[in-house]
Parts: sequence; structure tokens; C-alpha cells
Amino acid sequence: MTDDLQILESLKDPSTKELAFRHLISKYKERLYWHIRKIVLNHDDTDDVLQNTFIKIWNGIDAFRAESSLFTWLYRIATNESITFLNQRKRKSMTSLSDENQYLIDNLEGDSYFDGDNWQMLLQKAIATLPDKQRLVFNMKYFDEIKYEEMSQILTTSVGALKASYHHAVKKVEEYVKLHETRIEP
Amino acid sequence: MYEEDLIQPDFGKRAQNPFRTPDNYFEVLEDRIMGNILDQTKKKSSSSKIIRFMKPALGLAASFTLIYMLGYYSINTFLLKDTVKIEQTDITGTDSLNNYSISLASIDENSLINAIFTEETDIFAETNPDEFLAYLATGLNDVEIYSEIQN
Repeated sequence: MTDDLQILESLKDPSTKELAFRHLISKYKERLYWHIRKIVLNHDDTDDVLQNTFIKIWNGIDAFRAESSLFTWLYRIATNESITFLNQRKRKSMTSLSDENQYLIDNLEGDSYFDGDNWQMLLQKAIATLPDKQRLVFNMKYFDEIKYEEMSQILTTSVGALKASYHHAVKKVEEYVKLHETRIEP
Repeated sequence: MYEEDLIQPDFGKRAQNPFRTPDNYFEVLEDRIMGNILDQTKKKSSSSKIIRFMKPALGLAASFTLIYMLGYYSINTFLLKDTVKIEQTDITGTDSLNNYSISLASIDENSLINAIFTEETDIFAETNPDEFLAYLATGLNDVEIYSEIQN
């Protein structure tokens, strides 16, 4: 059972719902995990958000009307859960708005499941300085290679606006990297 | 303006994923998530059972509260309002105030002063000073005076 339509059909039947949902988790767990991980950065936080995402999906699957693809719908829930989670954490831990993205950097530095070298850490720090929307767009485009049309449905933003966001994000990341890469120890 | 081919950044080492997960994380993920979901569903159903059990009691309590509030409100609104009205009429009614002013105005100021002071002078006038002095000279106490009067 790998086809989305087949999974959705089985989810409608109470006798097969649980098994079908297992298939859904099996099919999308890794993609959703990595999507969330790039937003919240830390593994433990990602695990929490992923659990919440699948619980939300389970609770809302009966209301899913297939107006968009299942993949788009799942991504949208995962994105919203991640942003909500980050906002809650930022509110709890931050003292000023200017330090807002410091939470992400601290989160990354404190993550024992980050194996990147100094350069990769620098790139992640550069991405962490971006505003939420630009960060989302950058991650989805640069790492996940999601098409703008699909991204437009997930983030409910026009393709033109997404392209502009990506353009600005790339410029900012490049500037940050240029400014800080001399400080990286070889 | 923002064509895709113009935005092809190369930050290097793109293929390498610096993030990793604990060992066997994805293998046990379905079981963990399904376990959580089923736990939540059980909790929901048990809480809905409690609500189902409590519903009649809560309904009764709500009804009694409503009846009490309605009764209290109606007593306050209708009965107490009337009482206050009556009391207010007694105190502030314009007719009775006018009557009181009229009766005060009809009393002559001099006759009022006379009435007050004449009474006091009359008391001393009726008393004979000799008797008064004799009384003071006796040096009797209250009990002896009382027995003298009684005799």
C-alpha cells in the first residue's frame, strides 16, 4: 500500500484505519522529519514536533478533502507545527526580538546529533539569521529541492513571492558566509 | 526577475547532511507514534466517559442554580424594589415635606422660646427656698429621703 489514494481509502474504513495510518507514517516519516529538522534544528525538538504533526494528521484525516495532494497537506501541517513550536520556545527563552534567532543557534550548538564541520555550522548559522519565511523557502528550495508550484501550495504564497524570498535569502546567506568564513579555523 | 537559473548558489558540501538521528530512530518511529495516538484516544474516551457520568449531576446543579438565580433576581427586582419605593415615599415624598414645613412655619418663634424656658422657671417657682435649704441641711441619704416621703 504505497499509493496515496489507496492509503486515503483505507483510512476512511475504521477497520483498516490504524494499519493505513502506519503505512502513511512509514511513507512520509523521513521526509517530514528532515523538513522539520531543518526548521527547528535540534533532534529532540524535531521528534516532539513530528509526533505532534502525526497526531494532528490522525485527528484531521477524516476532514481531509483531497483539494490538495496528501503530500502538500502533510507538509503544511508539519510546517505550521514547526513554526508554532519555535514561536512558543522563542517567547519563553528570548529577552529581546533582536536576539530571536539566537535560540536556533543555541539549539544547534547544543544538539548532540549535529555532526557538521565548522563550515556547515557557519552555513546553518547563516540560515538561522533569516526571517522565518525566507528560512523556510531557502530550506525547501536549496536542501529539499521542492518546486515553487508545490511550495506555493504548502506555504500558501504566490510563486513570484517565493522566488523573491529565495533570492533575498540566498543574498543574505552569501553575505553572512563571506563576513564570517575568515574566522573559521581550517 | 528571480529566474531559477540565476539563483543557483553553491555553498559547497551540499550532498553531505550534517544532521543525524539516534540509531534505529526511524525503525521504531511508527510504533511510538501509534502508541501515542492510541494513548491519546484512550484518554479522550475515558474523559468523555467521566463527562457522560457527570452530565446528569451537572445538569441538575445547573438547573438548581438557574432556579435560585431566577428566584433571587425576581425577589430583588419586584419585592424589594416596592419596599424601597414605599420607604422612599415616606422620607422624600414632597407632600409630607410640605406639610412638615407648613406646621413648622405656623409656630411662632417667641412662643416656642417661652414654652421651653417657662417650664423650667415653673419648676423652680413651685419650690420654696426654705424647704430646699431645710432639705439640704438634713444630710439625709437617698434611702432615708425615700422612707421620709413614704411616711
